[in-house]
Amino acid sequence: MAEPSIETTLTGLADDGATGALRAGRAGTIYLHEGRVSHVECAGTPSVEELLTASGRISANGVRTTRQAAVGDGGDVLVRRGVLTRGELQLCVLGATLDASFFLFGVAGPKLRFKDGDRHWLGTHWYFDVPALFQECRRRRARLDRAWPSAELDTRPVRPVRRIGSRHVALSGPQWEILLAADGESAPAELAKKIGLSAYATLVAVRELAAADLLIKPEPPPSEAEPEPEPEQVLPRRTDRSGLRPGLGPDGRKANTIMPETSGDPTDVNLLIRLRDALEALQ
Amino acid sequence: MIGIEDCLFEAMSIPGALGAILVDHATGTAVATRGLPDPERSAGGLSEAFRATQIGLALSSPDGTVRIDDMIITTDQGYQLIKPMETPFDGPLLICVRLDLSRANLGLARHRLQTISRQLIAS
Repeated sequence: MAEPSIETTLTGLADDGATGALRAGRAGTIYLHEGRVSHVECAGTPSVEELLTASGRISANGVRTTRQAAVGDGGDVLVRRGVLTRGELQLCVLGATLDASFFLFGVAGPKLRFKDGDRHWLGTHWYFDVPALFQECRRRRARLDRAWPSAELDTRPVRPVRRIGSRHVALSGPQWEILLAADGESAPAELAKKIGLSAYATLVAVRELAAADLLIKPEPPPSEAEPEPEPEQVLPRRTDRSGLRPGLGPDGRKANTIMPETSGDPTDVNLLIRLRDALEALQ
Repeated sequence: MIGIEDCLFEAMSIPGALGAILVDHATGTAVATRGLPDPERSAGGLSEAFRATQIGLALSSPDGTVRIDDMIITTDQGYQLIKPMETPFDGPLLICVRLDLSRANLGLARHRLQTISRQLIAS
């Protein structure tokens, strides 16, 4: 039997008011507190540890020692030490969780295992209702497609164009950082970790750059299909057996017709009978 | 030092405040909200308004770059105040407050928003 989806399992745990950690194989972990999500981690998105380090407020070593010493209250320790304000800590957790959810919930068929009572080392600093979390992921998907509706650049190395087509461009902060960090080899997810931006915000900026024609787009793959044969230049000669002129015979009508084909398909016939019955009933 | 919910509470206690919302500008997410009918659409709309203003001003300023401290929009029904706050993480957080036309004092409201943003984010 196929594994149940993350959505189904998570909704079930929320209904039960569960507290603990739902591990989705190696893809990530969802932490719950009394039926609400308190933290989500995903292997492909920057973790709170990476965000904290990238913020410049604390060293990677500082994060590691706090994490090892923490007994489920690491966040409070950081606030008490003045590394972050309470609001910044909440924003950090909120940003990392929404980012991780967007990518983790899209992972197909991970092995799910729930461990009751497990907590994140930072503690609980923000709550997300499970349906609201799914709704936010849908909103983010739609926003991404509005920026540029193709996913073709999402996983390829970001390569800025050498020369812009106009005299000037207006760039947002994230767009600027991405263009500066682009080395021609890193894909958006790697750039996100490098500049300490959420993977989703990076993806939005990359798609906006693509829409503004500032990125080199991949060559369309050479088509596998045989090239269309050149139409015959010489007009076919009519003979006794040529039949009707092209476009007049049954074959010609098939190719040019704009009407749906008629058939003896029983569903068509049934539909017509039901339609007739309905019309008769109206009278 | 305050958290997100306290920040919103403080914003709603500004004289004349009718609604308030915190928006993550980089993602368009409604972080927290009070007194708004549709937070998701409000967040998207306010975020777009801020962005369009930023680009429009950048293109029309002699230096090419401007930093917006806050935006004041006067409408037929009241005021909208939009203030960006730099965070140590993703792009700025926008705090947006809708104010009553007759009861609000713009100078006071701007001052209060400044104080709130300093308490939420250490800069």
